[in-house]
Amino acid sequence: MSGAIKRYRFMALVAGVMSLLLWFVDLPVAYLFNNEEWKQAVAWIPFVHGWVYAVYVLVAIQFSVKARWSMKKMIWLILAGTLPIASIAAERRVVRQYS
Amino acid sequence: MTQPNKLFTKLVQGVAVLAIATLFIGLGLWQLQRAADLKESLKVASTVDTKAVPLQSVAQPRVALGADAFNKTVSLTGKYIAHFKAPNQDDGNGAVSDWEVALAQVNEQSAILVVRGLWSERMVNPEIQQSMTIDLQGVLVASQSTDRADNSPGVISRLDSAVIVGLTDLDLYDGYILARSESSDGRQLQRTRVTEDKINPKIPGYYWQHISYVVIWWLMAAVVVFLPFYRRRVTP
Repeated sequence: MSGAIKRYRFMALVAGVMSLLLWFVDLPVAYLFNNEEWKQAVAWIPFVHGWVYAVYVLVAIQFSVKARWSMKKMIWLILAGTLPIASIAAERRVVRQYS
Repeated sequence: MTQPNKLFTKLVQGVAVLAIATLFIGLGLWQLQRAADLKESLKVASTVDTKAVPLQSVAQPRVALGADAFNKTVSLTGKYIAHFKAPNQDDGNGAVSDWEVALAQVNEQSAILVVRGLWSERMVNPEIQQSMTIDLQGVLVASQSTDRADNSPGVISRLDSAVIVGLTDLDLYDGYILARSESSDGRQLQRTRVTEDKINPKIPGYYWQHISYVVIWWLMAAVVVFLPFYRRRVTP
């Protein structure tokens, strides 16, 4: 169980940071500014976020199964990785509950 | 719950799970297709097809250029009906300069932008008039998406027919031609020709981004199929 928590906490923080970068750096640059150089500079963000989120989903499922969470809570945990802050907030909640 | 009701509920749940999983698999396939298209367009854009084909055989006015039309060497016969300055253009060697761009009328109804050469050499062929028929060959290139300058009379901000659409009633082709050779009445017009900008090597990064979305959508489909079998274990 502790391994699953550690893995989830790590991925939640990484996914949270990547979501923040995606929402507040990549998307404004892609849709609000007409600057090709900036677009090239931030092109790695959605790419990395995509792969990080895939791993996040896997560790969130593993953690939910081990923690015997309900299906509803598991779905919320998976979706938390798509929103900035949400996965970090979920990680804090897990820490409070299991520390 | 009665037995028929239970069966009905399970049936509805099963259909819902299948529908959502199918949707996610479809989204994954869509991203996979986008990744394949991107790879294909990169392959097409990396090489210039030097065999000249008529412009009309690979492109149509008012229709977006297909991936197979990019970097094709095209030929056309027409008349230059307007000239523009396109400032701050990068060529394939990294040199930034102002380019002379002509609007070539291809037939009664259509026209395309043609990069003739450097703006500084625009007076090299003073004999060219609007009534003269020009035969030209050049490389068909995708429209630019970012401005290099402001639009003003005689100046276009980027090489894109969209910026001159208000100046003419003709149907405009998407993209533009980088002229390789021009002739009039069998006589070659000598100009220093500009080369196309180098292909952006970072495009493959976007390919793996699409692949990551494929993985996520299919993972989601797997999760949806898994959820009905998930039972919260309760510690006795």
